[in-house]
Amino acid sequence: MGLFVILYFAFLIIASCLAAFYEKRSVFLMIFSLTMVSFVLGIVGGAGALRFVAITAAVLAFAAGISYAFKEFLIAIAPRNAAKELKTAPLTAAFGMFVIFTYAIAGIFAPWIAPHGESEVISSAFAPADANMLLGADQLGRDMFSRIIYGARNTVGLALLATLAAFFMGALAGLLAAVKGGWFDQFMGRFADVIMSIPSLIFALLMLSIFGPQIIVIICAVAIIYAPRVFRLTRAVAGNVVVMDYIEAAKLRGEGDWYLIRREILPNSTAPLVAEFGLEFCFVFLLVAGLSFLGLGIQPPTADWGSMVRENATLISFGDITPLIPAAAIALLTVAVNFVVDWMLWRSSGLKEM
Amino acid sequence: MGDIASLVAKRLGLGLLTLLVISVIIFFMVELLPGDIAQAVLGQGATEENVAALRERMGLNDPAPVRYFQWLGGALTGNFGESIVTGERVSSIISERFINTLFLAAYAAVIAVPFAIVLGIVVALLRNTLFDRVANVLTLTSISSPEFFLGYILILYLAVKTSMFPAIASLSGDMSFGELLHRTFLPALTLVLVVTAHMMRMTRAAIINLLASPYIEMARLKGTPPWKVIVKHALPNAWAPIINVVALNLAYLITGVVLVEVVFVYPGIGQSLVDAVSKRDFPVVQACCLIFAATFILLNLAADVGAILTNPRLRHPK
Repeated sequence: MGLFVILYFAFLIIASCLAAFYEKRSVFLMIFSLTMVSFVLGIVGGAGALRFVAITAAVLAFAAGISYAFKEFLIAIAPRNAAKELKTAPLTAAFGMFVIFTYAIAGIFAPWIAPHGESEVISSAFAPADANMLLGADQLGRDMFSRIIYGARNTVGLALLATLAAFFMGALAGLLAAVKGGWFDQFMGRFADVIMSIPSLIFALLMLSIFGPQIIVIICAVAIIYAPRVFRLTRAVAGNVVVMDYIEAAKLRGEGDWYLIRREILPNSTAPLVAEFGLEFCFVFLLVAGLSFLGLGIQPPTADWGSMVRENATLISFGDITPLIPAAAIALLTVAVNFVVDWMLWRSSGLKEM
Repeated sequence: MGDIASLVAKRLGLGLLTLLVISVIIFFMVELLPGDIAQAVLGQGATEENVAALRERMGLNDPAPVRYFQWLGGALTGNFGESIVTGERVSSIISERFINTLFLAAYAAVIAVPFAIVLGIVVALLRNTLFDRVANVLTLTSISSPEFFLGYILILYLAVKTSMFPAIASLSGDMSFGELLHRTFLPALTLVLVVTAHMMRMTRAAIINLLASPYIEMARLKGTPPWKVIVKHALPNAWAPIINVVALNLAYLITGVVLVEVVFVYPGIGQSLVDAVSKRDFPVVQACCLIFAATFILLNLAADVGAILTNPRLRHPK
């Protein structure tokens, strides 16, 4: 029985008593179930397991606290309409927004945040962490922390560009197909079917083997692979709008296709399209990360999360978690975007599951 | 019954057509190379004679459509030509590895499918409880993580720190089946984690969708016990979506396997694809792509056929 164990249980019990006293039922249930779980695990696994539970709980509580604060902050600075929407956001969505915000800051201000240059060799290979290098050095002696910060710019930037390209192509084709109909619609539909029946990673690998791993090739490949998915959704959403009376009225007024798309259809199909953009971004980001993990993405010495995992993978066999950090950075961003998309889908579909 | 047969035949024909179109794409994309394959393989410094010799060896002097049909005919009989880099027959490089990959995918599927479907149904029944929320966050996290992240975490905790399983899945011919299962457990588990999450979410959505239909409410209102509502009323209609979910995720397994094989240095076809891509060994790339695409299409086909067989409504398209 260390001091830690006593303090930990004292804290939990006091917190649950306070929650019970102020009649916060869900808070009380949460804290007290945590107490029970810690109790059982503490007996089974000893102080080590208890410490693990405590750290996990603290991290979760910390994340929840930050998300809550960030949400309140957004509500405070947002204009009235947006604030009303934001109030419906669950904590997970707030957490997602916070993470995206952090990545954006890291990506935009990378040269100012990172203590060292992206490909600057400052130490020996795999040097351990010290005051100068927060996360140690990589396989060539470059600062891992700086490379991760730069990676936010390179990896996320590339995925974002590729998603934008795919989205632009797909949405445009979908809108045109919905407005024009006829053989154009049929042809694009069949074409999308064929592209979608090739597994995305395989198709990307095929294109990269032919044109070589250059950034522009990656962007084009991703655009070709994911545009059909965007096309499908846009076509479906716009297809529902096109049959409305006001579209008919606009057509009778003599408006052109472009006007219909821009002024009538797009404003009425933004919500699902925005959610789709987030979802596509996740897929593209994972694909791009996978490609660079295979050594076929952004080429060295540019910092990139996927290839950083691959280059430092040998450290794993020594029980070092450094190579997991860029991988975790990828996972965290994807989770965050998914959380936000989840909320947006729920909001836009008006589907309040029973 | 003739009705079903013709529907299935129609669907099969469509699948074959798609496969044909894809083989055209795979073949003719290589033709898009600036210059030609021989030039690209030998690089800028190659002499005129070398390029001509390679061109002769690969039969590049024939027009492209002729070569396409030769290639397709060869592919149908299991002959994919020769590797540019090693000169070996592509089929001999791939065949054994393909079986390894199938084994890994099947291993993962055998664990993941029952596990995911049961969990998905449980989560759907307990929707909007704390358990459901936790499951939602966990599955979302697992889907969002790249395969190599999960793979390395498993290596770190189950192979390096506790040394319960080997970190590298090296196979040899004379291993017992138990040993084989033990060696390939970590790659299989990585795939299981990813696929289970996908499958659980899809099963949950399908079941919730079903439970919202009026006839289920009717069954509940007339006082049928909950288990009977599930088994007698919901399940017969749930088979179609569940079969769909399973087939789609097996198709997903086929591609997820590429990254996992690289992480665990597993001797499968995904690894040879990646190697061939970085060496620009086009015959191998084409063969692997064709095999992956064919498997993918077949599984999607199976999903559609399964849905038609289990859901009478699909037999009468409007």
